[in-house]
Amino acid sequence: MKARVRFFARFRELLGAEVVTRPSPGTSFASLIREVARGNGEGYAAIFDENGAFREHVILMRNGKRVEAADAEEILIADGDEIAVFPPVSGG
Amino acid sequence: MLSERERKRYRRQILLFGEEGQERLSEAEIFIAGAGGLGSPVALYLAVAGVGTLTVVDSDVVDQTNLNRQVLHRDRDIGTKKVISAREKLEELNPDITIRAIDARIDGGNAAGLVGRADGIVDCLDNYPARYLLNRVSLEKGIPLFHGAIRGMYGQATTLIPGKTPCLACIFPRAPPDEEFPVVGVTPGLIGMVQANEVLKFLLGTGELLANRLFLWDGMRAEATELCVERSPACEVCGDGRKGRAKKGRKKG
Repeated sequence: MKARVRFFARFRELLGAEVVTRPSPGTSFASLIREVARGNGEGYAAIFDENGAFREHVILMRNGKRVEAADAEEILIADGDEIAVFPPVSGG
Repeated sequence: MLSERERKRYRRQILLFGEEGQERLSEAEIFIAGAGGLGSPVALYLAVAGVGTLTVVDSDVVDQTNLNRQVLHRDRDIGTKKVISAREKLEELNPDITIRAIDARIDGGNAAGLVGRADGIVDCLDNYPARYLLNRVSLEKGIPLFHGAIRGMYGQATTLIPGKTPCLACIFPRAPPDEEFPVVGVTPGLIGMVQANEVLKFLLGTGELLANRLFLWDGMRAEATELCVERSPACEVCGDGRKGRAKKGRKKG
């Protein structure tokens, strides 16, 4: 099984633009992102809070559809999933 | 009717969208929230394109640290109100349009009145709380909101049409934490051009708007990505979340 995780903006600087992963069946959306982000402490802390929950401004998408953080623990990754994780930028 | 002088000034773009298109621009009024990094290129290009009335709102004073990106302002403007500096440059560029310079900070009490009867709102702000206020005004009045935001060499833009696209809170329900964001002028230059381009197409009724699509720009890689965005049924501003939010508020109160 293969899934592609894309990061944007600040997350991209910390974690890279794109990670292709081979999650085992039954991997949840949230645990996949945790796994991918784990390699970079600052990147992980930018996405997750102290309790391991998604920070509230983080935008999650799966195959072009928004994923609510509240559902991310239940949603299971399927083969070929395209995932996007990014913070809104706010400057003007 | 266009004057002879206007026909000449806009000749090269009248080739593109005709005298009728130019007249539409002349009759339009666009509200530009912010005269900084995004507001500068947006105002400059909408002014030279001949958008008839530009309302520019900002409460800040030009600071030396603004000058790496806020191309409306010059070294000599340091200490001057941004809207005064902006009006001077825009009138110089195009004396045939009207510039309304309003020295104000957008808040819950004045947002709707400031926007008035504008044909479009351009989001050139640097914070989400004020953006959310304009989002509400946009929805209440049915006026499109042209969103843009930047950080470093990254930027985002989308066109929000009430009733046809998500609202700003559907896409970004929570503001990111405040910070002194890094920025180089080319990023707001580029995102501002995407916004101004959207405004022109909307006023002319031509092309395909950046509607239901979020444009993400990565200047480090010179890469543009587009993500589909859609209305959030649970949105606290335009969806079912309104009731829940109101109820919660009442309980607290």
